[in-house]
Amino acid sequence: MIRSSKTWQAVAFTAVAGLALSACGTTDTDGGGGSAGGDDCNFKIGVMGALSGANASIVLPSVDGADLALRQWDNDECEVELVKFDTEGDPAKATPVATQIAGDESFIGVIGGAFSGETRATKSIYNDAGVTMVSQSATATDLTQEDQVEVFHRLVPYDDYQGAAIAKYLTDEVGATKVFVVDNSEAYGEPLADRVEETLGDKMVQRDKTEVGQTDFAPTISKMESAQPDAIMYGGYIAEAAPLLKQIRDAGIDAPFVGGDGLYGADFGNAVGEAGEGAVVMCPCAPIEDDSTFAADFEEEFGSAPGAYAAEGYDAMSVFLAALDDGARDRASVEEFVDGYTGEGLSKEVAFDENGDVPQENVSYWAYKNEGGTLVPEVEVAP
Amino acid sequence: MDFDALISGLDRHTLDGITRGSIYALVALGYTMVYGVMKLINFAHSEVFMVGTWAVLGTYTAIGATAGMGVGMVIAATLLALLAAMLASAGTALAVERIAYRPLRKKGAPPLIFLITGIGCSIVLVETFGQVLRVIFGPPFGRVTVNIPSVLETTTLFEIGGLNITNTRLLIIVGAIAMMFALDTFVNKSRLGRGVRAVAQDPDTASLMGVNQERVIMLVFVLGGAMAGVAALLYSIQYDITKFDIGFFIGLKAFTAAVLGGIGNLRGALVGGLFLGIAEVYASIIWSSEWTNVTAFVVLVIILMFRPTGLLGESLGKARA
Repeated sequence: MIRSSKTWQAVAFTAVAGLALSACGTTDTDGGGGSAGGDDCNFKIGVMGALSGANASIVLPSVDGADLALRQWDNDECEVELVKFDTEGDPAKATPVATQIAGDESFIGVIGGAFSGETRATKSIYNDAGVTMVSQSATATDLTQEDQVEVFHRLVPYDDYQGAAIAKYLTDEVGATKVFVVDNSEAYGEPLADRVEETLGDKMVQRDKTEVGQTDFAPTISKMESAQPDAIMYGGYIAEAAPLLKQIRDAGIDAPFVGGDGLYGADFGNAVGEAGEGAVVMCPCAPIEDDSTFAADFEEEFGSAPGAYAAEGYDAMSVFLAALDDGARDRASVEEFVDGYTGEGLSKEVAFDENGDVPQENVSYWAYKNEGGTLVPEVEVAP
Repeated sequence: MDFDALISGLDRHTLDGITRGSIYALVALGYTMVYGVMKLINFAHSEVFMVGTWAVLGTYTAIGATAGMGVGMVIAATLLALLAAMLASAGTALAVERIAYRPLRKKGAPPLIFLITGIGCSIVLVETFGQVLRVIFGPPFGRVTVNIPSVLETTTLFEIGGLNITNTRLLIIVGAIAMMFALDTFVNKSRLGRGVRAVAQDPDTASLMGVNQERVIMLVFVLGGAMAGVAALLYSIQYDITKFDIGFFIGLKAFTAAVLGGIGNLRGALVGGLFLGIAEVYASIIWSSEWTNVTAFVVLVIILMFRPTGLLGESLGKARA
């Protein structure tokens, strides 16, 4: 037994010194890799988003998609590493990630942010450092329509269109005339619900707002009970949609429930359980054919069918890899290449307009219905 | 602003508020008892509640309880879950006391240090369920919302003036008030309760009179923890979910309720909890749920401006039977 505190101090000191030394070692190796710029094509591409937490299932497939694109890439000259950063979808956690990526010259681009809030919080950091962003799923309208930044591009249309598509589904497919619209008062859900409200016009009966992290929706439910809606639209993510939907069904309200792509994750069915049977999720993403090579390759690599935005993740990575194939070797030339990129992607025909948006005519919107815990493509909707 | 909606459904909204507030009040008891005796805010108490909800889930899983069982099985499963949640929460509270507070008390640490170790314990517990157990056991642990089987399915028992009284709602309100009544009686009438009040009034004199201070402190942690366990079961019945950080908001609201009612005062916790729950639901109806927290805390500030010691403003020590 060591009892003297002197000895302990010595032990502690040795341990700390050891750690410090090993830390130096790591830095050295990294430094070697970091000097990769120049001609020896050795780069990193970051991907940031909610890799853990309740909303991870909306993001993880796109990360795997990007990974798959990288594994399938055929280029002898270049060495590219996909570095994953978990932000939990939280803007506050995304900012340090962005600073880290911006400060490391070996990063030539970033896939993401996956969500709108974190993208809004980080896009100016990336812009200052000239790091090209290609988002697979951030759909908030203002990201490209207000305070535009040079470096931001996305493979999904913005929520104005998605909102219109949801409204169209509600009126044309559901035949609703009294829609109750609820949102989560946050960067993604609120503008989406605004747009649905705008398109629905007098077919919306009432609007209510909830909060991220809320579990008791009794006030919203009692508003629904008096409004007697024939359909319910929710703008928000899975974490709150699950208890909300359960409480709606518990209260005996059986109006159809429609959400945006914030619910388009494999976890949705699990999280809502029986209450979610028949719930509809709208997504600006065409279903991936079960028999496509992509689906087969994806399944072989990751052991599951490609989920939410897997094809968009694949496409985002492909755009960056095409830039390297084209001879881009620094941030500025990657940015220039991506701005002018056109090509047939898995998800859609990829091109970016002057704001960084994918041309609207290349996008298709699909309603997916939750049947026994899985989202099954139901119908294509043109906004 | 929609005052009409509030007025037209006042009874319904009040009932919603009381349901929400009952759970706040039960959790608030833990804060208030510990404060009354030790003049300490136990910031780990929110996690004592969280552990309780996991104990409910664990019990249901272990005995294979699901929705749609017979009445007898439902009662048995619920009682078993209640017992498990109370034990788990009380055990956690006791462990927090032993690990985070007692060693510091022995060394006469300044009060601020207790707050930090309390917050530290809280984070450790949150991360245990969010990260450590996930790494060891995998799902259901982790940072996702987990469903608790709705063993006790919601059904309407009876109607009063167009107001549906469901079994879960009734259980929550009656259960919470009964537990609080029992605790209040215990503290005010029993021999052990007298010890608690004595230590709350004057720890030094109490020990001179032969009250074992350490035992009293353990007792208040266990009692507060057990109440949080009851709250955890009622919460699980009402909302059917749990999560690694589920205690955060509830804890914050319960602490607010305790301060609102007068911290250190058992009946104050009840009044504060119900008041806060009702205020929140009213605000959600008049505006919307995003105004819940704004309203709750504005109400708190205004009340404290006029009654700095809270609505009932007595300490545990002065409470008389």
